[in-house]
Amino acid sequence: MKQALVSIAAAASLGISLLTAAAPARAQEELKIGVIAALSGGGTGWGLGLQRGVQLAIDDANAKGGLKVGGKTYKLRQVAYDDQYNAAQAKTAAERLVNEEKVKFIFGPVGSPGALGSLPVTQPAKVLQFVDGYAPAILKNEWNGGYVFRIGNSNQEFAEPIVKWIKQTMPNTRKVGMIAPNDAVGQAAVPILVNAYKRQGYDVWIEYYERGSKEFTPLLVRMMAQNVDLFELNSNAPGEAGLLVKQARQVGFKGPMIQSGGAGVDEIIEIAGPLAEGFLKYDVIDAGLPRVKLFLDAYSKKYTGILNGLSPVYYNAAHVVLEAIRRADSLDTTKVRNELEKMGGWDAPVFGKVIWTGKEIYGNDHQLFHAFLIKEVKGGKGVIKTVVQSQ
Amino acid sequence: MFSTTVLAQVVVNGIGLSATYILVALGFTLLFGIMRVVNFAHGAFAMLGGYALYYVYGSFGVPYIIAAPLAALLVATVALVLERLVYRFFYQKMFQSMIGLLGLDMAIMFTAVMVWDSHERSIPPTVSDILQIGGVIVPADKLIISGVAGAALLAFYLFTKFSRYGLAMRAAAQDMEIAEAQGVNTVMIYRLAFFIAIFMAALAGGFYGQTYALSPMMGERPLMMAFIVVILGGMGSIPGAALGGILLGFADSFLATFYGGSVSVFLSFGVVILLLIFRPWGLMGTPES
Repeated sequence: MKQALVSIAAAASLGISLLTAAAPARAQEELKIGVIAALSGGGTGWGLGLQRGVQLAIDDANAKGGLKVGGKTYKLRQVAYDDQYNAAQAKTAAERLVNEEKVKFIFGPVGSPGALGSLPVTQPAKVLQFVDGYAPAILKNEWNGGYVFRIGNSNQEFAEPIVKWIKQTMPNTRKVGMIAPNDAVGQAAVPILVNAYKRQGYDVWIEYYERGSKEFTPLLVRMMAQNVDLFELNSNAPGEAGLLVKQARQVGFKGPMIQSGGAGVDEIIEIAGPLAEGFLKYDVIDAGLPRVKLFLDAYSKKYTGILNGLSPVYYNAAHVVLEAIRRADSLDTTKVRNELEKMGGWDAPVFGKVIWTGKEIYGNDHQLFHAFLIKEVKGGKGVIKTVVQSQ
Repeated sequence: MFSTTVLAQVVVNGIGLSATYILVALGFTLLFGIMRVVNFAHGAFAMLGGYALYYVYGSFGVPYIIAAPLAALLVATVALVLERLVYRFFYQKMFQSMIGLLGLDMAIMFTAVMVWDSHERSIPPTVSDILQIGGVIVPADKLIISGVAGAALLAFYLFTKFSRYGLAMRAAAQDMEIAEAQGVNTVMIYRLAFFIAIFMAALAGGFYGQTYALSPMMGERPLMMAFIVVILGGMGSIPGAALGGILLGFADSFLATFYGGSVSVFLSFGVVILLLIFRPWGLMGTPES
């Protein structure tokens, strides 16, 4: 018995010493990168796009041995929370990331409701946040956009050029119909698009619905009774936009349909099927460009299913942020922010040279600008109709 | 705005909406009527019905006429395991069942997220034709749903009214102990009612997923609609589910078309609140003794 106990003690001590010996191999410290994304509900496509885009950038950094900051090498790990495309949930997610997970960098949430809901948590805590929502108040706010950056064009940047393009290519359209979600997107971001149409002489009819709705036929019949020529899908989430396209054709709307907002056309084709034919859509990437192809290859290697347009947007942004951390050589968010502001001209992986803009509109240059495309669904695929430059 | 064509379109849309609501609500009301179980996992079974149809019809290419009932049958059969493990403990326990089955709903939903991820996908349409009758547009898929809802409603009614098992179900619903004393095997009857209810939910889920989109979260909306329809018509009443579905479907179609989405939601829920105040047992339900 005594011998057995000695054997167990010896084995245990050997185990402990083996564990201790293994410890130096895990000396690399971990840096948590926060993500708030809609991982359920109508905005899921966008949320997954965000999460995957950030993850691919994290994978790139880890594959190179990690992120070297202040003499230490950090292995990056994504910590993601679901906000269900909802402001209250986004606030809760931000509180958990900031107070419990102690993250200093957060990507997301998708859209304006979550961004506006989470800023009151992240900005006073000086946590850097990178979002895509279109609401102007995301950058123009009581914190003067201190620790928040918008990492893709908002409709402030693309609405006017798109409407001008519509006026040129569809001169017979006079009246535009919109069916918009009754939340921060519908109430804050959609008016920018409405004003862009009105400035070009269009008559605009707009109706709101509760987020999560699936049946739009009554609203579409209401819209058609207004003799609308062009159906504009504004900032609807992919799930809802796909249903709107499908049901609009099912109730006999024959006019052109366009979505000036949200990136990625494949999810809409997936839901609307053949009824998506001819649908026009704002998008951000040209798959023919070699730099974009590199990203697409990495994406398809890791993930299956449809690529959401927000993946390249957040992949691009995450690389910009990681480069800013390297330059700051610190995890201090003020130092990183200052470096970010100085990164104009750096060659980012998807959109190329970084251009910060927005001072005139928002009071700070925390708005990333990039060229964009309009795609048309032809033969079940989104093909580039035109490349539109902002003003 | 109030032209004949628009009004006719409102009626057509109302029929399509009503059919969907009735189909989803039938199983829900049956479970409550027979076992006094508020099945908050109803939407999860509808979602599973959608995925079953996605594979049976969309991936394996089984002809639709067989695939739709087969998918629902698969879900109902697998659900029998849950009947034994979970549901049986909640029979005749209305309040406990609400919370317990809400938990089950979440467990099924998030298991589905892990299995299929939360990405929205579509089930290939059976028919994508759009019929035009006069100036009125009728999507063929809605026409099929209306037909199936009508047939299911009739079959349901005939089964509970005239068949031996239906009679046993009604007896068990009225008084379980007396039914047992008369020789009714209530365990078997409950299992049968459960099977039929889940079959209906899965069938409705298949249609719902095909008409709209398929995702692990897709059951939330049908569950809410089923609950409202059943409250409106009277908990446990099959004719009540039909009436509730028709009222809600037509109200939705009419109000949203003429007064907009917000007015429609406000008035629909307002009517439900008023009904709960003045007639809590619903339009065709019976007051608790």
